[in-house]
Amino acid sequence: MGTLKDILSPFSVWKQVLKEPVTIKDPLNRAGSDRYRGFHQNEIDRCIGCGTCEAICENEAIDMVGVASIASKDGDSGLRPMVDYGRCCWCALCVDVCTTGSLKLSNVYTWVDTDPDNFRFIPGIDKKPWDNAEKGYVKPDNYELYPLERVSMDHLHPEERDHSFIEIMKGYSDEEALIEADRCVSCGICTATCPAHMGIPEYIKAIRNKDVEEGLRIMYETNPLPEICGRICTHKCETVCSLGHRGDPISIRWLKRYIADQVPESAYADVLRQDSVEQNDKKIAIIGAGPAGLSAAYYLRQLGYQVKIYEKLQAAGGMMRYGIPEYRLPYDQIDKDVNYILSQGVDIQYNVEVGKDISFSDLHKQYNAVYVATGLHQGRSTRIPGTDHKSVYQAIELLRKITNNEEIEVAEKIVVIGGGNVAMDITRSLARMQKEKYGKVQIIATSLEAEGKMPADLEEIVEAREENATINPGWGPREILIENDKIKGLKVVKCLDVFDAEGRFNPSFDESEEAFFEADMVVESIGQGADLGFIAPEFMEQLEKDHRGRIMVDPLTYQSTLPWLFVGGDIIEGPDVIHGVANGHKAAKGIDLFLNK
Amino acid sequence: MLENIISELEKQFQLEAVDHNSSDLVFLTIDRDHAVMAIDLLKWKFGYKHFVLLTAVDFLEEGKFQLTYILNNPDTKTDIGVRVRIDREDANMVSAHHLWPTVATYQRELKEMFGIDFPGSPRLNDPFILEGWEGTPPYRRDFDTKAFAASFYHQREGRTTNDPATYMKEKLYPNE
Amino acid sequence: MSKKEFFPMDGDRTKYPEIKSDGTADIDLSSHKYIKLWHGPNHPGITGNMAVELTLCGDEVVEGITHVGYLHRGFEKLMERRKYIQNFPLVCRIAVPEPDYNEYNYATCIENLTGIDVPEKGMWLRTLTLEMARLQGFLMWIGGMAGAIGFGTVGQWANYCRDLVLDRFEELTGGRIYHIYILPGGVRNDIPEGFKDRMEKNLREIEGFMKDIRRAFFDNYVFKKRSVGVGYIDPAWVFDYGIVGPNARAAGFKHDIRKNYPYAKYAELDFEITTAKDSDIYTRAFLRFEELLKDIDLIRQILDKMPEKGDHISKVSNMMNLKIPAGETYVRSECTRGEYGYYLVADGSEYPRRVNVRGPSYTHGVALLEKMLVNVNIADVAQLMVSLHTYPPEIER
Ligand code: SF4
Ligand code: SF4
Repeated sequence: MGTLKDILSPFSVWKQVLKEPVTIKDPLNRAGSDRYRGFHQNEIDRCIGCGTCEAICENEAIDMVGVASIASKDGDSGLRPMVDYGRCCWCALCVDVCTTGSLKLSNVYTWVDTDPDNFRFIPGIDKKPWDNAEKGYVKPDNYELYPLERVSMDHLHPEERDHSFIEIMKGYSDEEALIEADRCVSCGICTATCPAHMGIPEYIKAIRNKDVEEGLRIMYETNPLPEICGRICTHKCETVCSLGHRGDPISIRWLKRYIADQVPESAYADVLRQDSVEQNDKKIAIIGAGPAGLSAAYYLRQLGYQVKIYEKLQAAGGMMRYGIPEYRLPYDQIDKDVNYILSQGVDIQYNVEVGKDISFSDLHKQYNAVYVATGLHQGRSTRIPGTDHKSVYQAIELLRKITNNEEIEVAEKIVVIGGGNVAMDITRSLARMQKEKYGKVQIIATSLEAEGKMPADLEEIVEAREENATINPGWGPREILIENDKIKGLKVVKCLDVFDAEGRFNPSFDESEEAFFEADMVVESIGQGADLGFIAPEFMEQLEKDHRGRIMVDPLTYQSTLPWLFVGGDIIEGPDVIHGVANGHKAAKGIDLFLNK
Repeated sequence: MLENIISELEKQFQLEAVDHNSSDLVFLTIDRDHAVMAIDLLKWKFGYKHFVLLTAVDFLEEGKFQLTYILNNPDTKTDIGVRVRIDREDANMVSAHHLWPTVATYQRELKEMFGIDFPGSPRLNDPFILEGWEGTPPYRRDFDTKAFAASFYHQREGRTTNDPATYMKEKLYPNE
Repeated sequence: MSKKEFFPMDGDRTKYPEIKSDGTADIDLSSHKYIKLWHGPNHPGITGNMAVELTLCGDEVVEGITHVGYLHRGFEKLMERRKYIQNFPLVCRIAVPEPDYNEYNYATCIENLTGIDVPEKGMWLRTLTLEMARLQGFLMWIGGMAGAIGFGTVGQWANYCRDLVLDRFEELTGGRIYHIYILPGGVRNDIPEGFKDRMEKNLREIEGFMKDIRRAFFDNYVFKKRSVGVGYIDPAWVFDYGIVGPNARAAGFKHDIRKNYPYAKYAELDFEITTAKDSDIYTRAFLRFEELLKDIDLIRQILDKMPEKGDHISKVSNMMNLKIPAGETYVRSECTRGEYGYYLVADGSEYPRRVNVRGPSYTHGVALLEKMLVNVNIADVAQLMVSLHTYPPEIER
């Protein structure tokens, strides 16, 4: 074994003596590599306090804490992550999962301090020497801990739908819903923005757990119209979804619809198990069976009150039935939600007009409280010359007639004035009828607001265009030209801005730029107003109103200055379904408070 | 290949479950009293002479421990996981240290960490990883590591956190 | 005093001390023939914090008992209350000097049970980190081996070389020791530009040092004198004691998981299993040295074959919500010490039901070491331990 070589060989490495030492001379200032995972940086204005970083931190190194300089608002909880370097292991999973991309680790990794408490700090708020370090770990490209793209929903293509009123969106399959629900990071930022403050992460979690029944129970805690809202809600929640910062927001609305779609109407009673409510004999009258009235009725029944709804039309639903076209919200889905509410023991009388068939003061005498939720059903007119022509219509009236299957005029060329969702609804409805009647679509919708600023949902505008309607925004209507008692068309001028410098509605025009839209028929859809004529003058006088004549109510209870009178729905806020649902619920609690005082 | 072995085993033992994980890894379940015999057979007859591991899985809800013996045949390059379900109460199992001396180490660990007895296994009760441990064996699922850590170790004071949804409710709509 | 009295264990030493009928050694401490000596738990070299409780007679060990637990953190249990993704920063701590095997095995278990794919480039990058881990693991081990018998300078060189590999790790993964680089679906980050050249430069420098280490340490009369013929592992013990990796290969057992159960990209790489037959401390040491040189070659091969383009990770479902359907799997890979395995049981929830880590040290460091210590000279205990290459956290997890 031992040879002479083994004795001599080790001496050959003496040459190492002449080498430079390899020691790092100034270890405190050795730069970390470009992607070194050093100390945290947080771009505080981009961070929304969603707490996803806290949720993934396996070391519980992160606390979400309130910061004095940051207020809570829609889409920002106002909290910011505080890191405890007594626990952090610099794994940077918090960076990878950060929904906004605000969180990073700099490549600075040396920090000497004598006070242990300094090692708990809020990156971005508590100033640190590495705040402006440029290098460090950021979430690498092409790598995500959760999918950023939403699952698209199967729907009818324009050529399949442009001639019929069949529902366009087909709903998620089980698999699609699971994939979409899986994307949710459960931060809960959306709940505050939802007017009804629905338990969104909770019902999405129920989908992940394949427990749609639990999902339905969660939804009914705050919203008794899930089939309806799952289709046509304005989904404010989705605008603040934390995933929307780097990708597509969760399809919250479609997931809500998925849950409701999965549970058949016949199973609702079993699933929701609500028959053990303690009853009392106090009576509440509700005027109007729209979303607010129905919501109030439902929650009042949950509290044991005897509820009766007075509805002017022949079916319940209000705007949901008489405003929103069937291709967006089929009537059987409205019936499903409405029937369940009515099955809770809500008494409803159709075709009764308060003020005509029964007086308002009678209601006051017969009931312990009255809730008015009659909505906005009176179309407003532009009052430009020519609006008194018989072929000039109000969108809201036409929509009501379409629902009622009444005959309406469908001209070959139509102009719609208005850029909101109602304008899109009537445009798309009439386009379908034109297609059926003439085989082609010749309808123009025009609005004051320019492209991109129209109040209608973007998807409504896109889909209307897909259905061959022309949307030509940015014009102010000037006159409806009439020749030989026949409408020739609409004269418009360029609208420069809808609001003035103070942000008030005060459109300015460029009179030199004119255009003319040929038409045989004009539809106005520039907004609706309330008709409160049924409230007898002696009561009306006692109600406090704001400078625009709107009834004032307590924002929490919806109680008016007449203690027994509660007002809600679109009259007070909105207009949309979910605000109605929310304030109906609040009014129910308000009435309960009032009657139990 | 594995199929043949399984059908051979089935002739002699009642296999409660057979789960093919891949073409060269299969898990099978045998009752407590026959498992070590089956392992013996696998080692000497079928060439599963490399003892990969022995461990326990606590199925607290079912009142069972699952013991898993993973055996490897280095010639055919296949693995068999032998699973045994034993009662959690008075948990005990036939020792296999006579097949591989190193098994005694695994059994010693299982005694300490799960409280599973292997009568006859050498030095079974010598402390292995824990010294002076009393109470629930810590790897059982009913031992709460988090509660233990919270009571046993000093916790940093003054730490509080907020749930974004609850915090926003407090700030934005406290009375609704 | 006669020679016989002074050297009581002359003659057939394996029969000493006598073994009682119950299998234990007949050691009567009150006879004053024996003393107890604790070797460790303070780091006596590269063996980490474990202790052997030695009973000596003169300078000869008559009994050795392994004591572990000094690094017990209950990893396996902790994993049961963390979501799958949250365990990645945890698993790497089970074998500090070679964390990547934990990441790889754990990620592969998850992929096996969920069907998540790994793109081509991701696999190459995994293979790269695994080989880099082996390289630096061996370098650190050489340092320990040399240190254990007094060759401190060699240890310094080896650890400098290891630092060069860690520099590349730092550049690739953002961490020197804990890389947290392999995740379900691939690896976290793409390879930086110019990595290959910098690696090549480091590999050349390491090769230069290896020449010196060979001359100063392996072709060294002192080292040979101390290690040849010492710490023999009988090939017959290989299966009895679950001996794997270099310890088994040095005893003539031709077995390397990279070759026999090709995983990652090993099937596309050109290498042979290193074996030897003398099975003593020197043979094991030299076999590791040879494997180290082969690892350098493999890293070159991997970097040559690394695809330019392609994803490093596939698109995965939300890792925060990942649930794995009930099932179990076992995944193994070849670390510097041999078969490293993960047994994972899923129960359909977001949390693993059980993770069991099979580290090679589990068998090497307890049953085998205890057997080998008997009749060894006290001066050889440290190098014997190092020659088995154990990492105690693997034993106590
Ligand atoms: S780096 Fe890792 S340990 Fe540190 S705060 Fe982020 S997630 Fe937690
Ligand atoms: S995940 Fe990002 S955005 Fe959300 S709280 Fe943490 S740092 Fe802020």
